[in-house]
Amino acid sequence: MSVDEMNVAASQIKSQVQNEVVIELVNVNKWFGEFHVLKDINLSVYKGERIVICGPSGSGKSTLIRCINRLEEHQKGDILVNGVTLDSNLKNIDAIRGDVGMVFQSFNLFPHLTVLENCTLAPIWVKNTSKREAEETAMHYLTRVKIPEQAAKYPGQLSGGQQQRVAIARSLCMNPSIMLFDEPTSALDPEMISEVLDVMVGLAESGMTMIVVTHEMGFANKVADRIIFMDQGEIVEQNVPAEFFGNPKSERTKLFLSQILNH
Amino acid sequence: MANLDAADTTFRPKPNLPPPPNTVGAVGWMRKNLFSSVLNTLLTLGAMWLILSVAYTLFDWGVLKAVWVAENRRECLDRSPDGACWAGVIHWFNTFMYGRYPYAEQWRPNLGLVILILWMLPCWLPRVTGKIGIALSAVIIFPFLAGYLFAGGEKGLILQILVSAGIVTFITIWLHVLSCLLTGRSLPVHILGITGFTDKDDRLHKYPLIGAFGLALIVVLILQSGWEPPEVGTNLWGGLFLTLVISGVGITTALPSGVLLALGRRSRMPIIRVSCIAFIELFRSVPLITILFMAVTMMPLFLPETVTLNRLVQVIIAVCLFAAAYMAEIVRGGLQAIPKGQYEAAQSMGLNYWKMMALVVMPQALKLMIPNIVGNFIGLFKDTTLVSIIGLYDLLLMLKAVSQNPQWNGLYLEPFMFGTFVFFIFCFAMSTYSQHLERTLGSGQVRR
Ligand SMILES: Nc1ncnc2c1ncn2[C@@H]1O[C@H](COP(=O)(O)OP(=O)(O)OP(=O)(O)O)[C@@H](O)[C@H]1O
Ligand SMILES: [Mg+2]
Repeated sequence: MSVDEMNVAASQIKSQVQNEVVIELVNVNKWFGEFHVLKDINLSVYKGERIVICGPSGSGKSTLIRCINRLEEHQKGDILVNGVTLDSNLKNIDAIRGDVGMVFQSFNLFPHLTVLENCTLAPIWVKNTSKREAEETAMHYLTRVKIPEQAAKYPGQLSGGQQQRVAIARSLCMNPSIMLFDEPTSALDPEMISEVLDVMVGLAESGMTMIVVTHEMGFANKVADRIIFMDQGEIVEQNVPAEFFGNPKSERTKLFLSQILNH
Repeated sequence: MANLDAADTTFRPKPNLPPPPNTVGAVGWMRKNLFSSVLNTLLTLGAMWLILSVAYTLFDWGVLKAVWVAENRRECLDRSPDGACWAGVIHWFNTFMYGRYPYAEQWRPNLGLVILILWMLPCWLPRVTGKIGIALSAVIIFPFLAGYLFAGGEKGLILQILVSAGIVTFITIWLHVLSCLLTGRSLPVHILGITGFTDKDDRLHKYPLIGAFGLALIVVLILQSGWEPPEVGTNLWGGLFLTLVISGVGITTALPSGVLLALGRRSRMPIIRVSCIAFIELFRSVPLITILFMAVTMMPLFLPETVTLNRLVQVIIAVCLFAAAYMAEIVRGGLQAIPKGQYEAAQSMGLNYWKMMALVVMPQALKLMIPNIVGNFIGLFKDTTLVSIIGLYDLLLMLKAVSQNPQWNGLYLEPFMFGTFVFFIFCFAMSTYSQHLERTLGSGQVRR
């Protein structure tokens, strides 16, 4: 098989996987008081798709993905996750949150619990998993993010990179079908960024649906199926990485790319 | 100086010199801290003189010239006019402890105290599981058992059930503790093993446990029905015993109700929020003594005339409300110190509000609040002396009553010295324990 043939085959597989929409945003609008943060956002995310969102600071990237698990409430439009509409129904919200993992810029590990307890808390208390089973799952994912030996430590005793990997493992312990990442590496020292990105690449290869807000363009180029550029609350442009970097269409995208790539 | 040989220019640390003499050991410490300058030396000497003279005067009065055995104050004064009359304190000691609680029944408060200590003791034992449950049961169930033990008299069916539940819980806890210590497995595991439920579905496990508890409850209910210690009216309760009852109830209810009020104050539901704010602000802006008076004089107005309220109950309710309002503000302060990210992380994993609060937010907030909470407890403990003003014979009023007794007329200094000592012991113990808690609980998380 030639390289071309392989690519064609891969894209066919991908398109088969891709026909199932797992997240759908229709005309989503959000205001913080007077301030219009999200303007008519339309977005469909397919099962197994890896999406990278980038854009200048304050453009509403965090707000957008936080609307997907309802850490923020949108005021207009519809958000559907796995076919369930996000509204004020608390049952729906809890169900969706159990199936959508989130990793934060500032890790947000629970400092009063050990790494292992951080990972087993939600499975035990939300999914009623038995403690032993939850611990087995936790050790499985801690091994996958390559820090099983830190399980008994407290988050405060770990480095930033290790903490973020624990945070990823903690989300994975809920067996989510979708993972949201909000600038997972921007609070890290440069030498720790790659260890977290490696974990994320591994996750992407396993077929997880991922939405990643990041400025790591290398990562975006490598794993993204689609890159979305946001500015001032709008989706300005979206495309596959090759097109996005090689042939940006809007002026704003070009400006942003020139700024970020010349750094 | 001009030696450019590479080997010689490399840095070689010199061996450390020994510290200069007179900077180590007790002498060194004193030289450095007490006699470093003329002024410092003068201050040191002055302070020493002050401490020594006070200590000596006290020692002279309280030990050397003290009278330990005497029939009345006159005798004390005759024997040693400027010494302490501890004979009075010894004579009244029992009253200081129990007030007018009948001598023959005083084993009941004592037994109550022993049960409480035994009930809480497992929380400090290693290898015991379910400590939170044990502590909670002590707060929720023990008061009924103790209350009946102290008051006695006839008991209705509900009280009988509560008392039996208390006894069963106490026995259960100790069976559990012994099982943990001796076999390393908890009591529920043993019960499941005996009933053959071990291999069954986890969800069925609760049935044999509930069954065993129910069975024990029925047995105890039957056994205790003949037990009816004579009634001791609360008007006879007094002394340190009464102080401990009032402050104990106040302290144990303050934390849970304070937590609820603080959460209510942050609630999104306007009715809950407004009523919590109103309650907190009302009770915080009125002195305790006013609340006590209101409780005693006003509460009956709100109740049907047939209900006659026990004065002690009224006072305890007032103290609890007051303590809850203060605790609510302390808890609110602790909650504000928890970063938003903690809430968001908990929410994003699907924890609902109560689980988020109980598992993530409160444990961290409470840890931060320990010094304030204990400070509040200490304050409350001392504030309960105010109940003497509305005629409850707590420790303070008992101390004061001595000087009005014809035999011991005018003896007030020694009883108050004794009272000071008692209050100091309790408050100092609380304060020390809180520091210990802070240290042990904070040890896991060096960095945040
Ligand atoms: N809770 C809030 N209340 C009011 N305004 C807010 C709130 N959260 C965010 N904003 C505003 O909304 C805008 C979008 O914020 P958002 O955090 O989504 O930006 P972002 O694209 O993630 O930026 P960054 O790259 O800096 O993280 C910003 O201007 C911010 O000031
Ligand atoms: Mg952001």
